[in-house]
Amino acid sequence: MLIFLIYALTTIPLSLMLIYKMKGMDQLRAQTDKLKKSLDDMDEQAKLIVRTDMELNKIQEELDKKISGLYAIQKLSHIISMTLEEEQIFKRIQPEYLGELGFEKAFGFLWDDEKKQFTLRFSIGYAEEEIKPIASFMNSNKERCANFIMGERTLSSISASNNLISPEQLNEVFKVSSFIISPLAPQQVNKGLIFAGTQNIETQVTEGDEELLKILATQLAQSLENARLFEKIWRSQQELEKKVSERTRELTTALEEVKKISENKTNFVSSVSHELRTPLTSIKGYAAILLTGKLGDLPKEVHERLEKINRHSDELVHMVNELLDISRIESGKVAMRTEICGLKEIAAKVEDLLAGQLKERKLYLNIGINPEANSVLADCTQIERVLINLIGNAMKFTPPEGKITIRSLKTDKMVQVDVIDTGCGIPEEAHQAIFDEFYRVDNTINQEVKGTGLGLALVKHIIEAHSGKIWVTSAPGAGSTFSFALPAVT
Amino acid sequence: MRVGIGVSIELDYIKAAKEAVEKAKISINAPNIDFALLFTTLEFSHPLVLQTTARLIGPIPLLGASSTSIISSLGPLRHGLMLILFSLGEGAYFNAACVKDIAVKTAFAAGEELGEKLLYGCKDVHRNLSVVFSSTDTAGSSNLVTGMQEKLGSSFPLVGGSLPKAAEHQENSVYCGSELLNDAACGILWGGKLNFGLGIEHGWQPLGKPRQITRAGLDTVNEIDGVAAVNLYKEYFAKEIPELKRELKRISVFYPLGIAVSEKKEYLLRSVSSIKNDGSLIFRGETPEGRSIRLMISSKEACLSSARQAAQTAMNNLRGKKVKFALVLNSSSRYALLGRLAGQEIKIVQAALGEEVPLAGIYTSAEQAPLASTNYSNLGKSYFHNNSIVVLAIAE
Repeated sequence: MLIFLIYALTTIPLSLMLIYKMKGMDQLRAQTDKLKKSLDDMDEQAKLIVRTDMELNKIQEELDKKISGLYAIQKLSHIISMTLEEEQIFKRIQPEYLGELGFEKAFGFLWDDEKKQFTLRFSIGYAEEEIKPIASFMNSNKERCANFIMGERTLSSISASNNLISPEQLNEVFKVSSFIISPLAPQQVNKGLIFAGTQNIETQVTEGDEELLKILATQLAQSLENARLFEKIWRSQQELEKKVSERTRELTTALEEVKKISENKTNFVSSVSHELRTPLTSIKGYAAILLTGKLGDLPKEVHERLEKINRHSDELVHMVNELLDISRIESGKVAMRTEICGLKEIAAKVEDLLAGQLKERKLYLNIGINPEANSVLADCTQIERVLINLIGNAMKFTPPEGKITIRSLKTDKMVQVDVIDTGCGIPEEAHQAIFDEFYRVDNTINQEVKGTGLGLALVKHIIEAHSGKIWVTSAPGAGSTFSFALPAVT
Repeated sequence: MRVGIGVSIELDYIKAAKEAVEKAKISINAPNIDFALLFTTLEFSHPLVLQTTARLIGPIPLLGASSTSIISSLGPLRHGLMLILFSLGEGAYFNAACVKDIAVKTAFAAGEELGEKLLYGCKDVHRNLSVVFSSTDTAGSSNLVTGMQEKLGSSFPLVGGSLPKAAEHQENSVYCGSELLNDAACGILWGGKLNFGLGIEHGWQPLGKPRQITRAGLDTVNEIDGVAAVNLYKEYFAKEIPELKRELKRISVFYPLGIAVSEKKEYLLRSVSSIKNDGSLIFRGETPEGRSIRLMISSKEACLSSARQAAQTAMNNLRGKKVKFALVLNSSSRYALLGRLAGQEIKIVQAALGEEVPLAGIYTSAEQAPLASTNYSNLGKSYFHNNSIVVLAIAE
């Protein structure tokens, strides 16, 4: 009984403890299960995180690649579009740009229509001995390459069939593990292709890479086309320049000849004039002596003939003098002594000089020199001579009661002087020729009035010697306006 | 100590080597040059580059490595080469050595051989630091470090980088004199008067529940939580093996596994290099059986922040001493993750070190460095890291 009691007293608490412990264990197990479940839940969440992270990384990678690629393409496009030399275009494709596109090897071939083969235009990342087998491959597969170019499709190691480049060729010939190949200017004569590749097995070519190389190929083709057009234009221009140069040379030779002829003419006229003046002076001298009657009285008929000799001699002397002046100006022997000349003063002087003749011919001279267009930079004596000639001419061709006007106006840096008459006028076809030597307008007045035909030629030479110009505005029956322009005093 | 750096992006091998040597010589402006480091991108991994460089710098040790990209003060260079010339100050010593045919010898034996060679002539000298570069695809290549530690001491500061390949058919190389070596490693051992500060960070955070490697060998994980290792990725990404294989590059870069380091709140990252059809995963580094693992995730911001942290830690470890040169070993996975911001990461490092500090580096597929790098006196054992940035700041 005691034993039973002792047994009961010990087992009951132990059992109670065991039950308690078991309860605790159950609770612990429940907690562990709960923890395990939480851990499993956490792991499930981790899986979601990892999958999302991976997708995001892929997108990020693709974006990074595109940004870098676009940046490289933009830089490259800018650089190659800056040149119009075909050689330079290819030289500007540098390894760093290629690297930014994710490649370290590249080459470009263009079809040479003369040699009937593909010619290497650039290569990056290949040694000379490595590029030779590639060139051989290109030219031993001309048809395949041409078909690819004409297909106008950019292909890569992910999209090209093994027929284009087999994996063995890729490793052994092209020395890359991934590549992109794009046609270059398929519609042009010098078509070709551009190839970019990498040895890096970790680099995976994407459709985005294909697009980027296509952009580069298009840009290259555009730049090559621009270069060709430029060369064509340049060659045309060179030919044109050559022709212009030849024509200029011919014209220069012709001009030299004309100058030489003109010089000879001037020299001839000058010599002849000099030779004529000496006997003329003698003739005139002897005629004058005879007319004085110091050598005896002369019969009336002789006197009349002598007077004619004297008058004609004067005209001849005048003509010879004008010819001499023209030839002197032409040959540059007469230097224009430029100074500030007042047109008003010159015109007044000329008016004084010609007052008698004006009165005799019943002509009215109106001088309207604008004070703002009064001063010119010229040889005053020569300008006086110009005005005498022009007013003299006007007097010849203006009928009595007619009007001659001298006026001036300022145009830009020149002063324009107009000599306006109310005479018979000049037909348009003679406007240029009247300034030629010995030209006389065919009209009744000219048939009646004597003249040398040298006056306007001399005037033109004088004006041009002042870097000025002279012209006429006239029509038959409407009078004439002779205008000349001289440098104004600034 | 004086350091001179010359960079060239010339396309011609000889011209590039000449330009880099010329620039480095001008930059160092020192009568005696003790040794040279040459980093090149893969296309410059050519005998002509090495021969020209070796001829121009004269009879001094020349070591180096090639990678998909190299690092200069200006940022990552995808095409070019960089020569770093060192003129050590009084009381500083170094030894350089190489080991070939790692696959034949096994990574561990090759590591021992390299450690032994580096110790040659330096046994009585106070040894400070070893820097090693390796180009091998051998399984268990992380044992190279273990082998070296066997000779140099398990807590000896060891910093290094395994070199990435751009393509399957392409070889990555280390340089030893004028020799270009595949399946090899080269290293330098510094001793005597030398101070350095080290910072290593990755910027990845654990996500999801912890799991356990239940069957593994070297760098292969066969099973996790008793099922095929690939199931972990299948579950997380809801993709079957073929799809996972297609997405492997992205998964490897963005979602490595983190091996919890006992007693430390750190995770050693392991990125997947391949998926076997039986569901096993091959990683870049050893993956011991029984270790707790978690899926890791990062962002560009976290990555940049970790680079800043690594550089600041390296500076803090130097305790105010003037930095003469900084070596950056940066994971190519970070380059891929950062994309257009890869240059910004280097700028951040340069800014943290000081704009005037000569900086050079290389992108790696795996990095070797201690875990607890924050305490100079307790650098600890070096491990194989993935997706990490190592900043080694050297002062006199």
